[in-house]
Amino acid sequence: MTAIKTVLIIEDDRFIGEMYVRSLKKAGYDVDWMIDGHDGLVAARNKPYDALLLDVMLPEMRGGDILKALRGNGENLIPDTHVIVLTNFEQDDESRLAMQQDADAYLIKAEITPRKLIEILKNLDAS
Amino acid sequence: MEMKQPKPLIKDYASVMWHRVCIVAVVIGVAATALSTLLISFITPPLMFAHLALTGGVGVAILLSIIGGAYIVLRPLRTIMHAIAHTNGEQLAVTIPNPHDKKYETTGLGTAIQAVYTKEQPISSVVTSTNPTIATTSINRMHGAIMTLDENRAVVYASGKAPTYTVNGILRPQLLFNGSDSLDEWLDECAETAVKAERLWQRVPDKPADTKGQRIFDVYASYEKGAAHETVLTVVDMTSRYQEDEDNLNFIAFAAHELRGPITVIRGYVDVLQDELDETLESDQRELFRRLSVSANRLSSYVNNILNTSRYDRRHLNLNLTPNQLASIYATISDDMNLRAASQNRLLSISIPTDLPEIAADRASLSEVISNLIDNAIKYSHEGGTVTVTAAQQGDFVDITIEDQGIGMASDVVKNLFQKFYRSHRSRETVAGSGIGLYISKAIVESHGGAISVRSTEGYGSTFTVSIPTYASVESKLSVDGGNQNLISQGKGWIKNHSMYRG
Repeated sequence: MTAIKTVLIIEDDRFIGEMYVRSLKKAGYDVDWMIDGHDGLVAARNKPYDALLLDVMLPEMRGGDILKALRGNGENLIPDTHVIVLTNFEQDDESRLAMQQDADAYLIKAEITPRKLIEILKNLDAS
Repeated sequence: MEMKQPKPLIKDYASVMWHRVCIVAVVIGVAATALSTLLISFITPPLMFAHLALTGGVGVAILLSIIGGAYIVLRPLRTIMHAIAHTNGEQLAVTIPNPHDKKYETTGLGTAIQAVYTKEQPISSVVTSTNPTIATTSINRMHGAIMTLDENRAVVYASGKAPTYTVNGILRPQLLFNGSDSLDEWLDECAETAVKAERLWQRVPDKPADTKGQRIFDVYASYEKGAAHETVLTVVDMTSRYQEDEDNLNFIAFAAHELRGPITVIRGYVDVLQDELDETLESDQRELFRRLSVSANRLSSYVNNILNTSRYDRRHLNLNLTPNQLASIYATISDDMNLRAASQNRLLSISIPTDLPEIAADRASLSEVISNLIDNAIKYSHEGGTVTVTAAQQGDFVDITIEDQGIGMASDVVKNLFQKFYRSHRSRETVAGSGIGLYISKAIVESHGGAISVRSTEGYGSTFTVSIPTYASVESKLSVDGGNQNLISQGKGWIKNHSMYRG
């Protein structure tokens, strides 16, 4: 099992984004952070991250559309990346189920402290 | 072609009565004239004009006295017949009898007319039996529908707008009752205990919230054991009236989501700071962090309770039942529970075997139930008291028991305990709370196909027991529904109309 090293965060809430960046960097991860959905999609396409932390409500492009662009239509453009959806927003069933199918995990932000997030990342295999 | 005679009207009978009296009077008058003429011609022949005038006069006098007497006797009867005809919906050519008319005051006829008017008229059966088209048209114009169910609870009659769906070729009412408070549960109870029974449910939707074309009904059920059609449901479409409440529930859900943002930051930074400052903190500062952490976690739990209650009330509580070890579910809240108990100076004793059979559980929802029950046990126990959590297999279920030796409850409190917003008089005065924790806990447990119960003695404490089905006992039902995607259990029965995921 190869440990996760590189993480891309797509999160528009600055408090939450900074919190994840700070914690993950302290835990030794190589972290990039994008605030809007469009830039996030470009970053995810351009660099093979081990993990992607993806918010749902984002400016420019919503998390669901980013995921669809990366893993939709039976095509997986990021086969080596674990996608963790982190949201406080209650989506309708259809959108949520679609994201669940394409993501590796779908979690409620308010219930995931940085310490728990690091535990989850430690249990993922980057190979 | 044979013409069908129209049904005689009641008002016509008043005229018939009067005609008969006149005919009888004429017959008797003529007969009396003829008889008296015959007698005179025998006694004093020859028959003179004076004789004829006399006998004719007698006949006319008899005729007039019969008609006059009959008029006095029959007039009030005619009035009553007109009153009856009016209550039967017939159009009258005469003035409708007025029970308060002064001329009826002394005789008591006014009271008789009033009695006719206030008597309930069984006219609907006449209309429906003679003209079913009118009945059907009328029912279809209702802002709702009527459904008739046989003893197997299949719909045998449904009016035009009735919410129904077909499963295995059998028509069923499409009504989403909440948890165990359902038509099926009620009919189970009726089958065992009732000959005739009636029941009203309010705010019953035909589809989950946010589904296009959702209608919300008030449902009135009438049950009669052994009747040809055992159950009749009258559903009244109340969608427009309840829509406002739905909007309020949407607002609650939206506001709760808004709260989650700051909660994420508070919980997260408390976590970050505790970690970063760990080596430099004094013991009293550690305690302050612990209190911050406990408070943020409790706030998060309250928000989850509000959100889940909103979801449940909108028939939108979706569960993702997967095989889980109870011990591993508890492990996710263990630190938080220990913190909460310690901050209130309670001892938490946990004994959950790790070799129990796996249960079919939604991890997040079930952990909220356990958290709610432990929170309550802490709140209602004494300073320095112990809260004991144990678990054991009971047949196809795993029972989780949360016990305290606290203030306990009287029986009248216990019976209302799981109702929404219920708080006993004593609780309201002494312990903070919103009255939704146990309501939503019961809803979540029953949505797992499980049960929740309580034993309590005032002054000695309470024991709550949650029973959750083992995964093995429900695995076949889950796999039938396509890998857990389309199933939720409500009460005793598994209902295939929800995705099981809880967002």
